[in-house]
Amino acid sequence: MPRPNSFGKDTGLQVRMALTFFLLGLLYVVFGAVLVAALKSAVPVIIILVGLAALQLFTSDKLALAAMGARVVTPQEAPQLHAMIDRLCVQADLPKPKVAVANTAMPNAFALGRSPKNATVCATTGIMELLTPAELEGVMAHELTHVANRDVMVMTLASFFATIAAYIVQFGFLFGGTSNDDDDGPSAMVLVLVSLVVYFVSFLLMQALSRYREFSADRGAALITGRPSALASALTKISGGMARIPKQDLRAASELQAFFIFPTSIGGLFATHPPMEKRIAALERLESQLQGQAV
Amino acid sequence: MGFLDILRGKRELKQPAPDRLFAMSTAFVKMEMELSLSSAGKAAIVFQPLATADFDGIVKDMEEVVQGTGSDAGTTVDRTDDEYGYRWMILVDPDFDDLVVGVNAVSGAIQGGGYGDRILAAVFAFRDEQNKPLYWIYNYKRGTFYPFVPAGGSQQRDNERELRLKAQIGADLPVEPELERWFPLWGIPV
Repeated sequence: MPRPNSFGKDTGLQVRMALTFFLLGLLYVVFGAVLVAALKSAVPVIIILVGLAALQLFTSDKLALAAMGARVVTPQEAPQLHAMIDRLCVQADLPKPKVAVANTAMPNAFALGRSPKNATVCATTGIMELLTPAELEGVMAHELTHVANRDVMVMTLASFFATIAAYIVQFGFLFGGTSNDDDDGPSAMVLVLVSLVVYFVSFLLMQALSRYREFSADRGAALITGRPSALASALTKISGGMARIPKQDLRAASELQAFFIFPTSIGGLFATHPPMEKRIAALERLESQLQGQAV
Repeated sequence: MGFLDILRGKRELKQPAPDRLFAMSTAFVKMEMELSLSSAGKAAIVFQPLATADFDGIVKDMEEVVQGTGSDAGTTVDRTDDEYGYRWMILVDPDFDDLVVGVNAVSGAIQGGGYGDRILAAVFAFRDEQNKPLYWIYNYKRGTFYPFVPAGGSQQRDNERELRLKAQIGADLPVEPELERWFPLWGIPV
């Protein structure tokens, strides 16, 4: 009798993610209404911002790769990594992404690109030295799940209104005092305040969303490889390595922080990634579910 | 993957596509007659061995089943683990149709045990008129075949030959339409 899958359901995570999406959507609907009410003539501005967001979506992968000093490698240059990703792609039913390697000692890996067809997965030389093949496979499967879940697209769209809010706050601070138009004086003030609130709340929500996407990707990686414990072991090794190096996660840096006008100080308070212990605990649950099938 | 799945970040492993493995039996007639390819007498199936007790049991049973059919059909079965942690069941039989049946028996046993989503691919080995190896790989997730011709040198493949094979085989085999899914399998042990 074929079983539907080796792992149980992740209902709790799905509920939390849905709630976050709902709150974010609600916030944006309200913000959109305020925007429309306040800026009847601001359509061109919004079009420009949409254009900026699209530009971001279409160029961020190349920019991020360049910023990381990563280079797309051919199968001849990195045969092991390519062969590993080939097999994972068959298993995950994904087209082959571009494979890049960043020459840095920091153990890390990240995925870029708006859709599976335009995806790039990147590993640092540090992570390839640190991890065993099975652990590295878990990490790459995690990144491929980000690709399959279109997390770059989801997060870019989710952050779009936050970007607008941030622009308005910025322009409000710069020019709000000087433009003494009696007609829209109070409404401009209100708009800046609303934007400030929208920016702050959406920031918190997006950090939460990002953490849920991480759990989701961990789960996906466990499904693809069938080895949750290998990923858990990789996470412990990476966290040990990361603690020595005073930088958070690069996926956060390249994909999310780029959107924020005030990136650093708030960013430290509310992490984009869940704490390592929670991720490992979730993977341990998956492993026991997997073993539980063996009766 | 639907829009809702994207929002939910849902990832379930795809189960094997409807089985089109036996298209290889009919296509082989054309390959032998018109393309002067001959069977290397070997095929293999590659899957992820899970570290669970019942999975080991299923693999053991399956080996016995295929060994059992082997005695009258002449199929021998062997296994090897590759450096990426995948397991290959290697079938050897001079009769090509028996190879296809044997591969089907192996995948059937794994699917019957409920681990169908762990099967990666089946590989059929051929030789061309210069006795150079070439392979047809069957992707279980998608139910499609694609050619794989290793060229001399490390991780080089003869794309021209592969595309020509696709054109030559025409409609006789369900060939994977997306070239970016023609995943190589280096170091095929057959």
